[in-house]
Amino acid sequence: MINLEQQNELFKVLGEKLKKRIECYVIGGSAMMYHGMKPSTKDIDLVFDHEKDREEVEKILKNIGYKERETRVIYFGKKNTPLLLQRDEARFDLFLNKIISTVLSEGMKERVELIYEYDDLIVKVISPEDIIITKCATERAGDRKDAAEIIKKVTIKWDQVIEESIYQASVTPYIFPVFLFDFLEELKEDLKAEIPKKILDEIRKIGEDMMEEKLKKK
Amino acid sequence: MNQSIESILRILEGLNTIDLVAKKLNVKKNTAIKKLHELRKLGFVETFGGGKQPRLYRISRRKRLKIGNPGLYDVINKNSPIKLVKPYEHKIINEKLTIEEAIIRAIKSGEFRPILASLALFNKVRDWHRLYKFAKNENVRRKVGALYEVARTIIKVRKMDEKTRKLMLNAKNEKKYIIQGLRSKNFQDIEKKWKVFIPFNYADLERYNE
Repeated sequence: MINLEQQNELFKVLGEKLKKRIECYVIGGSAMMYHGMKPSTKDIDLVFDHEKDREEVEKILKNIGYKERETRVIYFGKKNTPLLLQRDEARFDLFLNKIISTVLSEGMKERVELIYEYDDLIVKVISPEDIIITKCATERAGDRKDAAEIIKKVTIKWDQVIEESIYQASVTPYIFPVFLFDFLEELKEDLKAEIPKKILDEIRKIGEDMMEEKLKKK
Repeated sequence: MNQSIESILRILEGLNTIDLVAKKLNVKKNTAIKKLHELRKLGFVETFGGGKQPRLYRISRRKRLKIGNPGLYDVINKNSPIKLVKPYEHKIINEKLTIEEAIIRAIKSGEFRPILASLALFNKVRDWHRLYKFAKNENVRRKVGALYEVARTIIKVRKMDEKTRKLMLNAKNEKKYIIQGLRSKNFQDIEKKWKVFIPFNYADLERYNE
């Protein structure tokens, strides 16, 4: 597991070694640590806009001893998987624009609340609402716990979550609001997360309408 | 987290004054101050304002992390009478953002309010050569020189040394617009001298006299 201090040290090393300014987005458990919602994480998830930037970071990590790992071990059968680089207990998951079933959207970029500069490495932390979005289509138990923790610690702007799920449905092959509804209902039922019924009803309605629309097209 | 603290955080989440905290918790002002002190020690409170402005307390259910040094908006807000609303929290790890670099970053932002507010920073410049170096790296030397002269028309500003002023004035191949499409009706003499367009009029600078 990696804590915030260790993550900071790793970013400092990356920032010092980079030859040009690179921006990346931090998601998942790493983002939760910055938001003060989690003490440690299994992996550092970074999303890049440009392949060249990802390659640059990959090169530095390999130079300091990180080895590439087989993606299938962790992301079996998934699309848009990251490049996995591991050294001892620390693992970097380097994504390019897409995060499994989710796209890093312009809306997510605009909602960034925290920006940290480590010399030439600019780390942008996605909002708690968008962490929920990126976690809702993964089917990992840990992600459910994380999302429940976020809902406990923050007053979630549900309108943003709904709006983003609709956008995701427009740019991915998935009916995203259906994923979101299933995910949130499980959180409410199993983990007792405080999600207003009105919100769940609204997401269910959006999902049903989208499914109906899709069936009509077929 | 202790349950009572969690429920208090839920009640107080957001911006508060001491009086508001006392009202929300239905306690006396002294008790509210003690409670705020306790929450601040635990890392749930951020304080703003003070002096002539009301003291505000931003209370969050999340602990505020104390990593890094102040970013551009913090540096401007600390040194300028024109305050900016931060669109995001910006922290710089490893280094401290100097006044000189903050001026350059404000100009590079291409945004009206940060540039306007950053005029006050010219009075805090300690190292003109450093300002020149940053300006040269970002190719904004004439913009810096022009804005320095605008700042001198409205606020007390330290004098730029002659060598730096000449170097700035002789810069070539720099873009003319500080903010795309904005030109001044009142600072045409400065625009002509520095060959850049000033995005402000006298009325914009009035905010420095308020």
